[in-house]
Amino acid sequence: MSTQMDNVSAESRSLWGDAWRRLRKNRLALWCLVVVVIYTVTAFYGEVQYRYYQFKDEQPSYQRPDLDSQYLAPSLTRVLKGEDRAGRSVVKELLRHPCGTDGLGRDVLARLVQGTRIAFLVGIVTSIIAIPIGVILGCLAGYFGGKVDDFIVWLYTTMASIPGLLFILAIAMVVGQGLLGVYLGIGLTTWVGLCRLIRGEVIKHKSSTYVTAARALGLGHARIIFRHILPNVFHIVIVTFTIRFPQAISTEVFLSFLGIGVQGEPSWGIMISNSRLRLWQGVWWEMTFVTIAIFLVVLAFNLLGDALRDALDPRLREAG
Amino acid sequence: MIPTLLGVIMITFILFNVVGGSPAAMTLGKHVTPLALEEFDEVRGRNKPLFVGNWTSTRAYGNFDFATTIGSWKSVDGADSLSGEDSGGLILRKDALYPVPFAFPPRANAAYRWKIRYRLKEGPAELMWRDASTAESRSIALEPSSDWRTEYIRFETGEHPGNLEMKFELSGSDLEISRLELTRKTAHFFDSQLMFYLAQLCPLGIRDTEAGGRVLYWKGVDLGTSSNTNQRVSRMLKDGILPSLSLTIPIFAIGLVLSVSLSLVCAFFRNRLIDRLLVVGSVVLMSVNYIIWIVAMQYWLGFKLSWFPVWGYESPYYLALPILIGVVSGLGGSVRFYRTVMLDEMYKDYVRTAFAKGVSRPVVLFKHVLKNAMIPILTSCVIAIAFLYTGSLLLESFFGIPGLGYIGINAINSSDIDVIRAVVLIGALIYMAANLLTDIFYALVDPRVRLG
Repeated sequence: MSTQMDNVSAESRSLWGDAWRRLRKNRLALWCLVVVVIYTVTAFYGEVQYRYYQFKDEQPSYQRPDLDSQYLAPSLTRVLKGEDRAGRSVVKELLRHPCGTDGLGRDVLARLVQGTRIAFLVGIVTSIIAIPIGVILGCLAGYFGGKVDDFIVWLYTTMASIPGLLFILAIAMVVGQGLLGVYLGIGLTTWVGLCRLIRGEVIKHKSSTYVTAARALGLGHARIIFRHILPNVFHIVIVTFTIRFPQAISTEVFLSFLGIGVQGEPSWGIMISNSRLRLWQGVWWEMTFVTIAIFLVVLAFNLLGDALRDALDPRLREAG
Repeated sequence: MIPTLLGVIMITFILFNVVGGSPAAMTLGKHVTPLALEEFDEVRGRNKPLFVGNWTSTRAYGNFDFATTIGSWKSVDGADSLSGEDSGGLILRKDALYPVPFAFPPRANAAYRWKIRYRLKEGPAELMWRDASTAESRSIALEPSSDWRTEYIRFETGEHPGNLEMKFELSGSDLEISRLELTRKTAHFFDSQLMFYLAQLCPLGIRDTEAGGRVLYWKGVDLGTSSNTNQRVSRMLKDGILPSLSLTIPIFAIGLVLSVSLSLVCAFFRNRLIDRLLVVGSVVLMSVNYIIWIVAMQYWLGFKLSWFPVWGYESPYYLALPILIGVVSGLGGSVRFYRTVMLDEMYKDYVRTAFAKGVSRPVVLFKHVLKNAMIPILTSCVIAIAFLYTGSLLLESFFGIPGLGYIGINAINSSDIDVIRAVVLIGALIYMAANLLTDIFYALVDPRVRLG
């Protein structure tokens, strides 16, 4: 993928340069980009932390119950335990459980970081499954037409007519609890929109002069599709990626909330499901911080997706 | 339409029959007799080959992998596991009788087949079976062979398979068995899970008449039996459709009216403060997770402020909060979408002409733009209908509304395959029907489109 993108920017710097210039003018989009980068770094940090505990083969700190510090409300400073309570020589520690702790005394912030890791894992892996399927099938259908097109259109019409969430739930249930079910459920059902868009664009490009020229030069079909047409429709892939990423995150939250998704790891969905009942007892912070975490990343991706769409191809707006 | 329907049927079949594990083991658990598992499968046609086949597996004799265990042969006197270089097999000593340890008696009047991979170094061995009620006895000889050889032995059960005794009778040498499997003959080559599924879904059936001929009759669609409640799935769906519709139709109608009017406001005040606020507001609404909407609103409006009942389905008032949540959570996305639709129309030539002629802004918006924007609005309604069907999944289970979503979530939690399969199938049917309706509407609304 990256070599293709490099080729594009090398051959036609103006297209991507233009897009970047347009994007840069959009202040809001830049802020969203910053938010997305921060989340990405957090997710990466969470991954490193997870690998570290796996490597050391011990229970991670964000999983270890600490019954002395149950339900600590969020606070920036905190009196350390075992200190003098009479008011003298009180040692305060900064940023210990800044977002509070949950019912088992586990740090909410550390669990949010792990939730970010899982959300990004789901966003990325499902994209790795869905985007190649959508792009390849879309290109084949659009380029070859005829029987191939009929078959692929039939395939995605069929997939599209099964209610999305239910389909994902069913796949996840059949595959079994755990992340694999979530990956396959989301990945195998969400390529339809992209496939449709790519097919439409490829049909438009097929009759353009540069394709005719390439064909006249005797180039093979694969080369024409993937070296000549695909770079010209690749912006759709980028926009789709930005739009489907928050959707995948939301779906993962939903699945984990229902108990079908991640098992035994602090995903956002599991945190919501855990804190839901505690909310009624007045423990508001866990729910609040999860809500904010999900809200910010989804909002940033949504706004960024819009901005990218405007910057790369304003016509795509219609496709919704 | 028809190819899509077939495609949907195939996908549900592949998903739940081919990929999915055995629902019998999933629902009944591990500590259950093979007979109970077999009966569970018999009702659901699960004890047949997947696509086609003459032979199907049976639980009457557990097909043990002798490499790891000799299974129920342990209880047979004198049977032993092979040791030495050929370990991982069953050995039956010479000059003795060994009854075959069935898990439960094979069914009556059926054909079964043993697949046996054996070694018999010297004298012969015999597999004999006897019907205790008729005292009729039959047997088949196994040819001596010093190498492993595979043999198929077919036998038929009589009227009373409970009386069937089956024994290995050995003389001359020890019988070494590395593999022993039992399969049952299917009624015919196409007697498979796929055919069973298709026959269930086909509303027409064939029945033998008393006169001896065959007639086609209306049997209705059979969606299977819930493994959880043992109810007919069609019955459950019938009970669930009304609560579901009482929730989704108001959400759909209110949401549509509200979002179309808000998008008209946006178009009217394009690029002014109110438009910007609405756009930002709708992105913000869109970004709040659906679950958060439910949990937060149920907590604040239902529990803290006690404006609405929190759980139940007793009077229309119980629906108010879920409807509110449904409308609000869907509003962001649809306002944004309809705004784009409206603005696209606003750039068209006819709008400019109308403005140039001095037609007032409201008249242009409501008389010209709205009419032309109906086509994309209709299209999006189809998507909305499908979305509502799934969107009510969570709402219903959170608010205790006994609709299809509630049933669906329960079924997923208890791995109730037949119910999920039916809900998925019906969802797809609704979507397809809605699609067809839109096409027809298109032709009515837009004179440029002609059917067929």
